[in-house]
Amino acid sequence: MALLQISEPGQTTAPHQHKLAIGIDLGTTNSLVASLKSGMAETIADEDGHHLLPSVVQFLGKNNSLYQTDVGHQAQKNASRDPLNTISSVKRYMGRGLEDIKKHSIYNFVTEEDSVVPRIRTIAGDVSAVEVSAEILKKLKQRAVDALGGDLTGALITVPAYFDDAQRQATKDAAKLAGLKVLRLINEPTAAAVAYGLDSGSEGIHVIYDLGGGTFDISILKLTKGVFEVLATAGDSALGGDDLDHAITDWILAEAQINDPDAVLLRTILDAARQAKETLSEQDSASLAVELPDGSIWENKLSLQQFEKLIKPLIRKTLVPCRRTLRDANIETDDIQDVVMVGGSTRVPLVRQMVGEFFATEPLVNIDPDKVVAIGAARQADVLVGNKSDEEMLLLDVTPLSLGLETMGGLAEKVIHRNTTIPVARAQDFTTFKDGQTAMAIHVVQGERELISDCRSLARFELRGIPPMVAGAARIRVTFQIDADGLLSVSAREESSGVESRIQVKPSYGLSDGEIESMLKDSFSYAQDDIDARKLREEQVEAGRVVEALQAALVEDGEALLSADERSTIRQAIDELIEISKGSEQRAIKLKIESVDKISANFAQRRMDASINKALAGKKVNKLNQ
Amino acid sequence: MTDSIKKNHPDNYFSLLGLPVSFSIDKETLTTNYHDIQKSIHPDKFANATDRERCLSVQKAAQINDALQTLKNPLQRSIYLLSRYGIELGENNNSIDPAFLMEQMELRENLSQVNDKDDPLGELDTILDDVKSRINKIISGLENLFHELLSADEQDDELLKKTSAQVLKMQFLNRLQEECLDKEEDLADQL
Repeated sequence: MALLQISEPGQTTAPHQHKLAIGIDLGTTNSLVASLKSGMAETIADEDGHHLLPSVVQFLGKNNSLYQTDVGHQAQKNASRDPLNTISSVKRYMGRGLEDIKKHSIYNFVTEEDSVVPRIRTIAGDVSAVEVSAEILKKLKQRAVDALGGDLTGALITVPAYFDDAQRQATKDAAKLAGLKVLRLINEPTAAAVAYGLDSGSEGIHVIYDLGGGTFDISILKLTKGVFEVLATAGDSALGGDDLDHAITDWILAEAQINDPDAVLLRTILDAARQAKETLSEQDSASLAVELPDGSIWENKLSLQQFEKLIKPLIRKTLVPCRRTLRDANIETDDIQDVVMVGGSTRVPLVRQMVGEFFATEPLVNIDPDKVVAIGAARQADVLVGNKSDEEMLLLDVTPLSLGLETMGGLAEKVIHRNTTIPVARAQDFTTFKDGQTAMAIHVVQGERELISDCRSLARFELRGIPPMVAGAARIRVTFQIDADGLLSVSAREESSGVESRIQVKPSYGLSDGEIESMLKDSFSYAQDDIDARKLREEQVEAGRVVEALQAALVEDGEALLSADERSTIRQAIDELIEISKGSEQRAIKLKIESVDKISANFAQRRMDASINKALAGKKVNKLNQ
Repeated sequence: MTDSIKKNHPDNYFSLLGLPVSFSIDKETLTTNYHDIQKSIHPDKFANATDRERCLSVQKAAQINDALQTLKNPLQRSIYLLSRYGIELGENNNSIDPAFLMEQMELRENLSQVNDKDDPLGELDTILDDVKSRINKIISGLENLFHELLSADEQDDELLKKTSAQVLKMQFLNRLQEECLDKEEDLADQL
């Protein structure tokens, strides 16, 4: 008898249609893009054979309202000649306010009156970190499209595990500007674990030590039967290889007795410092030569011993979060199976030595530490788009920082604790302070400290439209949800009257929806027709996605969960949507998608409940069969 | 609402994770069931689905995560069990016996003096071990109390009160344990 083929819930029914998905490691120093090639995840090279794309963008000018840029190696070469228009390490500025980023920066930062996001003044105009990152993403996207030859279904972008909400949101905004559909943001160490875990297939507890160009992450994961569970994560989103360069730079400035270097000289010295660092990963000393403004050349040698003395405090700084994750994960160093090194900065011998001593185990460096994150990301991207994968795999990640609310006296009250598995939703009840009060202000922060001023401000919002009552009578339930990307959303409801309160969230360090919309418009600078055509195309793609997903759902569960009438109602709605999306009325398609969504709402709910029952029941059946 | 309805409500965390309503739980079954459910409803499985399904999957996965957090932790688990009898902890503080409160004050006093000791981390370890063993004692007592409570045909108010008092003690001790761990972190960072 022929066996019936039944696909996994949530996956599409078209198994032969391979979808193109990419994984992007958007790094401080270098970025990479990878995809699956006949079952193997590989990074994609450019036409010159380079896999790493230096995360450097040189702004050349503006044509209509489109930026003219050089991205990557060319821009890196030009950096010391045109330092103020050539932006590197932009990741450090993502989701950050002016006071955070001034240190060690050579750029001219400006703030605009109606925006909280600082801009860098360049020859092409004032650009935000999000726009600079978008230029890097566009370059990687183009590289992938050229190599894979087809439309991309979506991209998975990695972020440091210790990135806060504002930094994650900024990354997602950059992808939107670059015209990428983001399947998911995943944490870099988790991606690295996927790359390693699937190769070795080893169950147990793994530590990922990720010291990149500008960020440091430490994650402890447990692998059981295809489930990667992050137990704890910690780090420092402003500590990385750049800081090692700065330590050498400060030493050079002191040795050469340079007091007030201009941007060009500082850039030159930073480059020399980085080269010296790389040399010292393999040799005992590095020669330095820097051309000074008066034309003379300053020369000196930096010994490995001196170098290690300079950077030791920085590496010791990474061990504090290491200790905290061990505690949060409730494990001892004996429980650890292996320590995986990720990020270019782990090439520094002292880093390997100190980390090895701390965890009492020899760190693993089997996979190129520069590529491992992109490779893991590509694998997971392939799983997410629903391409058949032999290994049924699931990632359960955590939120790196506690989420809190400002209470009386400037104290932070934690609503969601750090290292809680995401997605997570928590409700908090509030009441009014005065009779007849109809609005209240809520301040959301992220961080571990007790004082609001020591935490990072995420957003402020106001609840309006509370029905006037005596003080303390209103019951406002505010729900905070962190989704699988680690992004926060907030909703509120006045419980006693059932009034849905309006929320206006003002991000403390993010671009507003309006700003992004106008940047998007700028990037398609041509005529209104083009914008309309793009909107229509996007709506049609969305309609196609809805149709495909619903048809797949009907094949899987239509018979079991719907009556004949319900099935035909949904089928009819799908047919109508297909018909309408062939036309050119963007608005009509949008409305039809919304109506299909309403019609199929019950079905979606039933499917979700059925999935849970199946998960629990199926297990017993499996046991009998095996 | 009668007792039996409370115990068997289909939406409760225990049935959600395929476990019988009980204070004693089989950790392995809890983990396996949790993983199996997440494998079928996690948002990663719906990256291609409709907005509605993606949204539902986030909500459901969050609920399952919440259920796991609640059931995994003995304090959260007992607070949850009590809430099903309509009891909110903290309402009946006066049910704590004075001897216990005296002990608490002593333990806290010791904790606050740790910094002045020759070996602060060693001293802290001693306090932590003490607190942990007190918590474990309460947990094993609660296993019997909840078993009796849940298997009774009629709600036993006296028993309920006794159980709540123990849970309240555990809450005190848990807070103390957290403070010890915070102190440990501070001390370690100073090294």
